[in-house]
Amino acid sequence: MKFSSWTVNPTRRGELAIGPLMILPAALGLCIFQFWPLGVAILNSFRAFNPFNHRPNGWVGFGNYQAVLADPSFQSSFWVSLIYMALMMVVIIPSALGLAILLDKRMPGTALARGAILGALASSEAVAALIWNAIYQPNSGLLDVIFQTFGLPSQPFLTDGHLAVVCIVIMTAWKDIGLPMLIFLGALQAIPPHLFEAASMDGANRWNKFWRITLPLLRPSLVLGLFMTTIAAARLFTPIQILTAGGPNGQTSNIAYFSYAQAFLFNSPGPAAASVVMMLLMLVVITVIQARALRSRSGI
Amino acid sequence: MTKSRDLPGLKSTLSRRSVLVGIAGALAMPALLPSRAFAATPGSNPGKYKIDLGGYTGPELTGSPITLKIMRQEFPPEVNAVLQAQYDAFSAAYPNITIQEERVPYGDLPTKVQVYVTSGSAPDIMMGRNDFASAYAAGQLTLPLQQFLSADFIDDVYAPLRESATIDGNLVCLPWETNPVYMSFNRDIFDKFGIKTPPEVGEFDGGWTVEEYMQCFDDVTKALRAAGDTQTFALAASGYGNGGPGSNYTQLESIWVRMMGDPNAAKDSSVYNTFMGVSEDGFTASGYVNTPEAAAGLANYQAVFKNGYTPTGVVPDQFRGGAAAVSFSGTGTVKRFLKTGQPFNFGMSPAPKGTIAYTTTVADSPTIYSGTPYPAETAALLAFICNDANRFAFHDAWGSMPVRKTLVDAIPEYASDQRLLLGTNVADHAFGPPKSVGWFDYFSAINPAVKDIALGTDPQTRLNDVATQIDGLLAKYK
Repeated sequence: MKFSSWTVNPTRRGELAIGPLMILPAALGLCIFQFWPLGVAILNSFRAFNPFNHRPNGWVGFGNYQAVLADPSFQSSFWVSLIYMALMMVVIIPSALGLAILLDKRMPGTALARGAILGALASSEAVAALIWNAIYQPNSGLLDVIFQTFGLPSQPFLTDGHLAVVCIVIMTAWKDIGLPMLIFLGALQAIPPHLFEAASMDGANRWNKFWRITLPLLRPSLVLGLFMTTIAAARLFTPIQILTAGGPNGQTSNIAYFSYAQAFLFNSPGPAAASVVMMLLMLVVITVIQARALRSRSGI
Repeated sequence: MTKSRDLPGLKSTLSRRSVLVGIAGALAMPALLPSRAFAATPGSNPGKYKIDLGGYTGPELTGSPITLKIMRQEFPPEVNAVLQAQYDAFSAAYPNITIQEERVPYGDLPTKVQVYVTSGSAPDIMMGRNDFASAYAAGQLTLPLQQFLSADFIDDVYAPLRESATIDGNLVCLPWETNPVYMSFNRDIFDKFGIKTPPEVGEFDGGWTVEEYMQCFDDVTKALRAAGDTQTFALAASGYGNGGPGSNYTQLESIWVRMMGDPNAAKDSSVYNTFMGVSEDGFTASGYVNTPEAAAGLANYQAVFKNGYTPTGVVPDQFRGGAAAVSFSGTGTVKRFLKTGQPFNFGMSPAPKGTIAYTTTVADSPTIYSGTPYPAETAALLAFICNDANRFAFHDAWGSMPVRKTLVDAIPEYASDQRLLLGTNVADHAFGPPKSVGWFDYFSAINPAVKDIALGTDPQTRLNDVATQIDGLLAKYK
């Protein structure tokens, strides 16, 4: 690149000076709250710590990584993390799309439904988890009472590993579905109506219009929704902590919860940092795969 | 036990003001505590400060403006009010000292202490527990308290509690209340179905065996269900820790395990190891927590859930609400019922017996953070909260049992009421948790394992898994 030939439009010289200043606060925020902790986590993953006061007391190379990879709890947490991601994508994306399409129709009660969905989104994650914890309680929970009313047996919502994973996903979907739904709704409303009119004139039915017009034009929003859901699923922590504390038998513990347990329950900051770094790597790999798979078709 | 030593700067002046304050206090005490006989107890201001600083014998407090921070568990409003009044009284006497308080859910206390210590900026006083004393000492997380408190005051604490809080001669935390665990039962439910109640005795080992309790739970459950009552249970859900199964191994669930052991058995026997819970050096759980006897104990525990004797979830205040026939509880339940009016006719009986009569001696125990910039003032505040009058006020409001013998002796009900007398006998014969510097890790690992077992996992398999896990966790402390 020849910088000598690089010229600046004289009318935009001011922007060149002010531009960096404008992004400085955001850049500083990113450095302080994102990159610096990430750097510390990476450093910590190679350190040994005093288990009493958690202060670093030496370097262990890849010892923490070896310990974590050999830990059956971590192996289980890795697979559970993937299950959460898959389930949340399967549950949230189609549901959010369906809701967005329904809300876009402006049917009676649309405003109420939109308010309810956004209300759940605005609620505290901990409060939502506590509400659902009460709903799932055996013997006294709302679901159990409904089951009893219909003569059905009590269900071990949070005490059976497989069912507990599903319950956590349902609670999270209830809480988080609002954001992707809003994104899809915005994208739906941005589709020019004349495309549908032209398709109708060509004899396209509803399904053809959805498949040939709506879905392709929604693809950038779908990609965004998919990324957001993937990241949210990987970071899932509060519902796990409140509903199951990782149990039973560690069957609901993902890598985020494993890291928390290592750091705060088992006085092991080194392995905790190593597992966090591995979670990050896993997330990078998955999002790169997603991006490549979707980019080839969407061109984004 | 190290005796109290004189510290530089310690004043023992007898000013006119201190005499007047003392006279006023002496006049006010009988009015405040009309039912108690008064004698100078070891907690009655041996240092002769301007207010009763309990057993504090350290230097006179600073006159500079400072702030002391306290972190403790959340109590009901009436108990919070008592503690707030004590802070206010302290700040009135020492206007330069501001007290800030942080309250957290009880079950979160150990983690919160850990996080604060890690931060390097912890509250001056943190509510700890005597079962973590080894870790406090090994990590030098707390200040030894005998340098600030009179030896008489410390010796007044019940021996099992004092010893569990003392590591290498250092009192690393100060037990301030205890809830010796035994059984309360709702006599109305038993009478309704004509079922025999547990024995109401004063001796800690005079109760039913675990088999007799299981039979009782079965009888009560069948009677309740036959009467169409699906909401009342034979055994109340745990109210310890954060409640429910696997709530607090130290205080509750370990009873099911360690009652199957025997501290007097041969040292290489499985029964002895079951009682110990961890190797003598405190670094190995395999062969101790997963013995056949421990698995049998937890199989009993599992049966109470599997057979529907107790709920599988958290049910707050189930016994107090009249929705359970029997509950693991203690003097706190008795005192609260006596104070607020009992909602039903109730009785108290010792905890289930296995190979031995076993119960735990766990006490919430405030600690002074080793990094506090104000050690003397912090110790003085702690001692003030623990002086006789303040302890009586606290125990009146909260109902727990005092940890100092002279305080218990000054409350007549503890000698006359079988339900409380049993509590004092249990406290005298209770056992401390297994001693390990890694008890926090042990505790954090075994609680979910116990919960898993309660909910159906095979006890022996899960105990083997958790024993291996704990071995790995304790290795870092070697």
